Amino acid sequence: MTTNATSGENRHLPNRLGIKGWIWGGNYTIERYLYTLHRITGLGLLLYITLHLVMNGFRLGGAESWTDLMSFFSGPGFKFGEYLVMAAFIIHALNGGRLILQHLGYTLGKPKPPVYPYVDSLRRRRPILWIMLFIIAALAIYVLVEFVT
Amino acid sequence: MRETKLKILQYITGIALFFFVGTHLIISHLGSEEVTEWTSVADRAANSGWLVFYIILLLFGLYHGIHGLRTIILEALPRLSVKSLDFTLVIIGLAIFGYALYIPVSAF
Amino acid sequence: MQDLTFRVQRYLPGKDSKPYMQEFTVPMRQGLTVLDGLIYIKENLDNTLSFRSSCRMGICGSCGMLINNFPMLACHTPVEELNTDTITVKSLPNFPIIRDLVADLDPLFEKHRSIDPYIVMAETGDLNKLTAQFLQSGEELQSYLQFAYCVKCGLCMAACPTVSTDEFFLGPQPLCQGYRYCTDRRDTGAKQRFEKADSGHGVWLCHLAGACSEACPKGVDPALAIQLLKRAMVFDSLRLRKKPEPATPAQPIAESKPKIEVPEFTVKQ
Repeated sequence: MTTNATSGENRHLPNRLGIKGWIWGGNYTIERYLYTLHRITGLGLLLYITLHLVMNGFRLGGAESWTDLMSFFSGPGFKFGEYLVMAAFIIHALNGGRLILQHLGYTLGKPKPPVYPYVDSLRRRRPILWIMLFIIAALAIYVLVEFVT
Repeated sequence: MRETKLKILQYITGIALFFFVGTHLIISHLGSEEVTEWTSVADRAANSGWLVFYIILLLFGLYHGIHGLRTIILEALPRLSVKSLDFTLVIIGLAIFGYALYIPVSAF
Repeated sequence: MQDLTFRVQRYLPGKDSKPYMQEFTVPMRQGLTVLDGLIYIKENLDNTLSFRSSCRMGICGSCGMLINNFPMLACHTPVEELNTDTITVKSLPNFPIIRDLVADLDPLFEKHRSIDPYIVMAETGDLNKLTAQFLQSGEELQSYLQFAYCVKCGLCMAACPTVSTDEFFLGPQPLCQGYRYCTDRRDTGAKQRFEKADSGHGVWLCHLAGACSEACPKGVDPALAIQLLKRAMVFDSLRLRKKPEPATPAQPIAESKPKIEVPEFTVKQ
């Protein structure tokens, strides 16, 4: 829906943070920056998928073409890149799972009368976030060990 | 409730991708290097089960990725027409799907 | 007590091409709020400084500002809680600047108005024709009471990352208020609000960054309201949403106690 929301900006000095506001908007806590990380990992994975599909095209060239490509991608730099993709997937998948649950109102609790000091639903359920981050860290370390060994 | 339906699909594909991409990554990236050798790749390409797996993975992955990209574009360029953005993304999505589908189907 | 340094954003339309920061020294005293500091500057150091305030007790929502990179009500922020001697005060981000620290909140009010923030009574009739009050349980009241404490200060909009780029995104305050009325049993306008929140720049551009709830000075928790709105919209879209029972007016009292007769005068007139 389009409102006349921008009318003020036509009269007065616009003061939108812009894309900078996606990355750093102020002194906020962890969910605000998990939002940024989710976006970055999502875009990273999308870029990787596009390159991956282009790479798959080499299969049409037969065994020789495929083997050449695989040997090209066997260097340590590409291995590290592959690890980053795995880590991005782990973060995006687990955080995405949390987001689906919470977007549908699960794990957030019911509205409560605001009694000072105010604690919002996300902060009340912060342990869920810590558990998720712990699982992300554990999986990322496990995959790193698998890659190194 | 068009946007809500699109978002429900985003959630469904997201949950499905957790398992599909997870399986794909465990097999192809955490498994032994033999998995990426030509003989192994050719074996999987001839298997109808793997063909279905890759087509679902491709379809869900493209939808999830392109819908996510659409959200980011809508936020970054809010004055862009939603209809023309949707049309462009559907064309790009179909082109990628066609190209990516051709590879496993032709190898099958 | 040590003096404080107030770094205040200045901007005079027609004179300044862009905002700049100006420093003032303000004497510290116990219980000093950021708004007190600004009033001190205006009264003693520079009477051209512009800011908006009214109630000075966190009720009117007029003095929303970006204080040390966090949106807060200036009257509600004791300097001691900031744990620093340097206080940076800027106009609320994501709102146009009228002058100095005065943000133009019109975009917020326009979006708020657009989501029908009132009780819609299509089926039960006009509010003015009602003959009795509606009955509502405590639980039903709790389902929206928290969200009804909104003072429309705009801090949640300043904190929201989506509002920072998307001028058409409805934003946390209007969406929260939309849900507040959808969940009220007296209201029958949920469908029309769902349609409005379903646009390309509607509720689905909320990604639960949670900054709105963190910034809210009244504990309204707009992030929770928006997620509950999404849930209601998803369930409605899948035809799984239970249609809430319409609110029933209280029955008129059937029998009334007989009037007490006025005793006769004991003193002859």
